[in-house]
This record gives sequence, C-alpha cells and structure tokens, in this order.
Amino acid sequence: MFAGTLVYAIVNSFTLILLAIGFNLTFGISGVANFAYGALYVLSAYLSWMMMNLLGLPFFPSVILSILATTLFGALMYRLVLLRVRGQALSEVIATFGIGLSILELFRYLGFVGFEYTLPVFFDHSFIIAGTYIDMQRISIVVLGFLLVVLLWLFTHHTSTGLAFRGIAQDERTALTFGIDSDWIATLSVSLGAGLAAIAATIIIPLGSISPSEGYDVLIKALAVCIIGGLGSTGGVIAAGFFIGFAERFTDTYFGSHWTMIVSLIAILIVLVIKPSGLFGQQKELEERI
Amino acid sequence: MLDVKNLIVFFENAIALNDFSFQVNDGEFVGVVGPNSAGKTTLMNTLSGLIIDMQIKEKRKGGERITVYGSIVYRGRDITQTKPSERVRRGIVLSRERHPIFPESSVLENLKIAGFLRRKQEIREGIDFAFQLFPALVALKKKKAGFLSGGEQQMLAIGMALIVKPELLLLDEPLLGLSPMMQNTLMDAIVSLNKQRGITVVLCEQFARPVFPVIDRGYILENGMLTLMGTGKELMQNPEIKAAYFGI
Ligand SMILES: Nc1ncnc2c1ncn2[C@@H]1O[C@H](COP(=O)(O)OP(=O)(O)O)[C@@H](O)[C@H]1O
Ligand SMILES: [Mg+2]
Repeated sequence: MFAGTLVYAIVNSFTLILLAIGFNLTFGISGVANFAYGALYVLSAYLSWMMMNLLGLPFFPSVILSILATTLFGALMYRLVLLRVRGQALSEVIATFGIGLSILELFRYLGFVGFEYTLPVFFDHSFIIAGTYIDMQRISIVVLGFLLVVLLWLFTHHTSTGLAFRGIAQDERTALTFGIDSDWIATLSVSLGAGLAAIAATIIIPLGSISPSEGYDVLIKALAVCIIGGLGSTGGVIAAGFFIGFAERFTDTYFGSHWTMIVSLIAILIVLVIKPSGLFGQQKELEERI
Repeated sequence: MLDVKNLIVFFENAIALNDFSFQVNDGEFVGVVGPNSAGKTTLMNTLSGLIIDMQIKEKRKGGERITVYGSIVYRGRDITQTKPSERVRRGIVLSRERHPIFPESSVLENLKIAGFLRRKQEIREGIDFAFQLFPALVALKKKKAGFLSGGEQQMLAIGMALIVKPELLLLDEPLLGLSPMMQNTLMDAIVSLNKQRGITVVLCEQFARPVFPVIDRGYILENGMLTLMGTGKELMQNPEIKAAYFGI
C-alpha cells in the first residue's frame, strides 16, 4: 500500500506542478494574478474537444491548435483589457476573474456538461510499477511535467527573452534602460501562462472530464500551490507541488478520501501563519506587515 | 550631439526641472553637480526617456500627473517623444542611481540581461571588455549580484551599460555611498571610457570634488535650474563654488 501511495503521490505532485506553473510564471514576471487561469485551462480543453468532435480533426492538430489559440487569447486579454488597469492589483484581479467567469458560465449555459466531454489518452497502455497498477497517461504527466520544468528553466536562463523575463521580474525600470519593453514582456508572460494552462489541460484532462467547475478547481489548486510555494518562485512551485501532492495522497490512503481537500487548506493556513510569503517567497514587506 | 532646450518637468504640483537648457558635444565629458533633490535624476530620466514610461504608467493607474515641456534633439533628430527602448537602440544609455543591478541574478546573468538588444557575439565581447575594465568582477561572476558590495555593484552597473554599446552614456550618481578609493577606481574607468573609447558621458553627482578635476565641462544644478557653467578648471576656481562645494 505504501509503494502504491508513493507512486500516486509523485503523479499527484507533478499534476499540481503542471497546474500551477503557468499561473506562477505570469505572476512572477508581470505581477498579474491571472484569475482567468482555470477558465483558460477549461477553454483549451473544450476547443480541442470541439475540433475533434465537431470538426472531425485528428488529435494532435486539434490540441496544438487549441494550445496556440489559448496562448493568443492570453495575449489579447492583456492587450485589450489588462493594459488599461495595469498597476492596480485589485482591478487586475477583478478583470481576469470576470473574464474567467464569463468563459466558464458561457460553457455551462451552452450545456457543455457531462462525461462525454473529455479528451483521449495519449497511449492506451498500463504497467505495474512497484506492485501498483499505473496507466501510461499518469506516466506522461510525470515525464511531461518534468520536461516542462526543465524547458522553462532553460528558457529563463539561456535565451535572451527568458533573461529579459527575469530582468523585468526583478526591476522593471532598470530593465527598461536596457531596451527591454515591459508591456511587451508582460504580454508574453500572460500569453505564455495561458499556453501552459492549455498544455496542462491537454495532459491532465484525459484522466477526468471537461466541465466548467473544473475551471474553479484548477484556479484554487494553482493558487494553493503558489501561495504555499511563495508567489512567483519556480522553486517554490516545485516544493509546494510535492508537499501538497504527497500530503494529499498519504492522507487519502491512511485517513480516508474525505480528508484530502482539508489537507491543502490546512497547509495554506499553516504557511500563512508561519511564513506568509510562502516557502520560497521574498515579499518581505508582507511578512513584516502581518 | 545633444541639444536640450527649455526643459520643464512637473510632478503633479512639484517642479523638478525649470527651464533647463544645455548642450553636449560629441566625445565630451560633461558633469552636472547639484544637491539632493536638485533635479539630477529627473534630468537623467528625461534624457533617457524613462519619464515617458513613468508618465504612461502613472496615467494608466490614475496616479500623479507628470508634465514635460521643451525639446531634446539628439544627432539632429527630435527625440522628445521617443520611447526609452528606441533611445537605447540609438545609443543613449542610462545607468540609474543607486547601483541598478538585478540582485537575484548572478553577475554573468546580469551582463547577459543587459545585452538584450545585442547579438550573442557582441554580448560575449562586451562581457570580456567589462571584465577587462573591472578585473575585480571576474572572481565574482557566479555570485548573486545582490551579495556584492556597493562598489562592486556599481562596477557591474557600468559594465552592464557598456554591453549596450552606448554612444551617449548617462550616469546618475555612480559614486553615491562609495569609499574615496572606490570612487577613484570608478572615475578612472569612466575617464578611460570617455578618452579612449570615445563614449560621450554625462554624469550627475552631488559632490563636486571627484567630478570637477576630470570633466571637460560642468554645470551646477539647483532647484531644477542651471546656476553656473564652465570648464572643470573654471568651476574649481570659482569662489562661490569653492565655498559651497569644496568647503574652503
Ligand atoms: N516621482 C516623483 N513624484 C513627485 N515628485 C518627484 C518625483 N521624483 C522627483 N520628484 C521631485 O522632483 C525634485 C527633483 O528630484 P530628483 O530629480 O530626484 O533630484 P535629485 O536626483 O537631484 O536628488 C524633488 O523636489 C523631488 O521631490
Ligand atoms: Mg537623484
């Protein structure tokens, strides 16, 4: 039982990391808390579903197109809406949350609810690892989650745009003196965050189904991971992903599934009380204020 | 090279620059000396275009109103409304006050970030040049910039500005808070950039002592207005300045 729990805890951790990494990237670079994040996740899944089931496109073109469309949607969201309320954190939250609500409730209104709304698994195959039955999709989550983290690290450390991202994140005005355009980088960061939400949906949705309420769940999970890890910190997302991922699975196995939701909530409360800036957070002022 | 006419800059209701005019010739080393809140940083931000970005961002969030009048002509073209990234492309590079580095990144990464507009090869050459100018940085290249001393951070900041390949280098109080020895090291480096590399330099400082002996021409800025100008020598011999800035 222990080995099985361990395997599923690792899968759960990578799921959480995949869910949070885009939200975290956007926040870390441009300071935008994108509350439409869960809706973008669901939007991309519905887009893939529609391309496959209504237009009859094959799987790979459908998901690639919907990831691109969601990325573009993120960019448009920044240029058309966020740009006007830039710098006012509360307005940014309200604007993004409003966009998210509209997307999710529109799908609910149009009747996109039910078990038939899902995406296919990549490979229909399963294994036994450490005496535990595990399917290929869950293995894909671990492999692709790991790959994505590595790619993101390479991007932010070895490409000129990635380095510019980190410059802007640290000191916007100084970055500007090197010709780094903050609006352009912020657009990219929201857009890339949206694209990461779409990638996460493509990998994770096949294990469940697409529904508007999934959008709210994903937002809450991403927020939980980011708050515990320290908003904007990639190391924090990984640490918090593993922390919650393991805590949830082990609670499920040893105490019962009705306790799992409570675990992450308690973890958030404990972190907020002990270190309000999160495990890896650096918002000193916040800590001093509380 | 640079011709600034009747510059007026208001912050909501405070006037930071009041009818400021001056010229900078190709290859010159110009110093602007003035006490705290004289308007030095505002001048640098206006020349580099940062003020345009501040204006836009303040307006977006309904913050303070920033007003700029007057004209800035650079190499025969009016750049008063040109955005900062475009000015950087044309060779006007500002090194901001208080050691403008990226504290969470290593020294090497700082230099790479600064090379945003440059090609890989140019960045490599720029990094080599920065290490040649400030050998002290070589041993620190893997260290987080936030952990460097003030002097080391300032060397890094100048190194970063050089990677952009400035034709007109604007330095805002590079000596602030540094030991006299470190001030000399930095000033020597800046002079060599000007004399050997031909980079035109405009430098702002609060204190005249390290500045006047090395500059071609200098200005005294007080309350947003130019009160005196002259060559470095003339200014050093001016009795008023002797009293006010050298305490003699
Ligand atoms: N963002 C700002 N908002 C309001 N007033 C400002 C702002 N920046 C500068 N000032 C005012 O403009 C004047 C010049 O400031 P500054 O250019 O920073 O001077 P210096 O760099 O010479 O110390 C000061 O009176 C200062 O209070
Ligand atoms: Mg100043």
